[in-house]
Amino acid sequence: MIQTTIPQFPDFTLKISLFKDVINSAEIRSKIADYPFAFIDAKTICSVEQLMAALYRVFIEKNYNRIRTKSLTSECLLCLAPTSNIGEAFRRFGLKDDTKEVICVQIIPTEDLPLDEVDISSLIDGFEVDMNDEHLKQFCDKNIIREIYKFDASFQPNSIEEVTRAVVSAIQLRGM
Amino acid sequence: MSQEIIDIVQNYLTPNIPITLVSQGAEAVVFTTHVHPYLPQDSNKTGETKYIIKYRPHKKYRHPVIDQQLTKKRTLGESRLLAKLYQIDGLKVPKLIACDQYNGCIWLEFLGSQLPDNNGFSNLKHFLWWNKADPYNNVVKESLLKVGQQIGILHWNDYVHGDLTSSNIVMVQDKLGVNVWNPHLIDFGLGGVSNMVEDKGVDLYVLERAIISTHSAFSDQYVEWIMQGFSQVYEQHGATGEKKLKELLKRFHEVRMRGRKRTMIG
Ligand SMILES: Nc1ncnc2c1ncn2[C@@H]1O[C@H](COP(=O)(O)O)[C@@H](O)[C@H]1O
Repeated sequence: MIQTTIPQFPDFTLKISLFKDVINSAEIRSKIADYPFAFIDAKTICSVEQLMAALYRVFIEKNYNRIRTKSLTSECLLCLAPTSNIGEAFRRFGLKDDTKEVICVQIIPTEDLPLDEVDISSLIDGFEVDMNDEHLKQFCDKNIIREIYKFDASFQPNSIEEVTRAVVSAIQLRGM
Repeated sequence: MSQEIIDIVQNYLTPNIPITLVSQGAEAVVFTTHVHPYLPQDSNKTGETKYIIKYRPHKKYRHPVIDQQLTKKRTLGESRLLAKLYQIDGLKVPKLIACDQYNGCIWLEFLGSQLPDNNGFSNLKHFLWWNKADPYNNVVKESLLKVGQQIGILHWNDYVHGDLTSSNIVMVQDKLGVNVWNPHLIDFGLGGVSNMVEDKGVDLYVLERAIISTHSAFSDQYVEWIMQGFSQVYEQHGATGEKKLKELLKRFHEVRMRGRKRTMIG
């Protein structure tokens, strides 16, 4: 798990965990509205930087009262997307019934941190692994990412770093 | 005035992001910081990597609504352009890290370094000055060929810079060789898409003027090397490339003549 804050928005703390071999995605999906988490299909995420770029954007939107979904956690999915179509963002980045690798993001007011008792591993039937670039690189699907972010045919990234650069730009520029 | 803007930006960024003023232009104020806007701090790296924060302050003489629209438009214009340019094979521009369109703030990768012996920041202008004792050495030649190639790639893809001075070309030392410098283009605030030879000719002319004004004794050779690198890019594209290059060089010549006349008259 990564626990971090975005320097410009210290009032909130982020807890990000990564699971593999998950077998109850369908069950999590059916109750998703009850949980104060964003569940993300790890196939769509190639690096920590991609996810954090979207979380930064969540707080920028919040700062200017531009949140368009019902919570900060659902806004994570929208902020990952290259377009402002909420339904599509949920469909693309959210869990499918058969998702095996799951990223889970919790956004907690920093002052409430000592009270936070939610144990994410009790909700997810799978194995927690370190949330890092190495694992994300292994779990992501470059073709799906290419399709979601609609890369130009001429753009042929040679590395995950180049993919990251392209998606970070798309995330920062959405709707503009 | 200046302190007021620094306070506004510092307040916006919170004390968690200490900033240093780098430059204050008419359009934008530029700062550096060691704090990444959103990546978890890697304790090993802290203090090493720098980031650029470019802020477009509100203009009091403009109507607030128009001011906000303009800020948004220019911040977005530059960010969008950088994102596009970054995907062009071989072109070297700073990476876009973050963009707060509502407040006119963008974060970029910091490029370049301080040249040895107090020779200043490694933009092309300082880089050439630094080499003035041996002005035609091979490192200078190779570097200027690469400067030309960068502009060639930009123009071949139908983008123009709009303010191509020798300060807006940053020399980045290659990781693998101390004598290898890779030019990067910065400050696309006035840049955009264009397929007009006029815009491209003006880019080349602006750079030529910049080099003549700061390195007059060596400028003929310097511009020749730049144009050699520039031409190589076009020549790689066969007959179409050659044809476009010819038109472009002709227009560059005309822009130059017009410029001369203007300076002679007044
Ligand atoms: N990406 C960058 N890396 C290093 N220095 C930069 C960068 N962007 C801007 N600067 C510095 O800030 C000055 C003004 O930036 P600009 O307003 O973009 O022309 C430049 O002349 C550079 O010295």
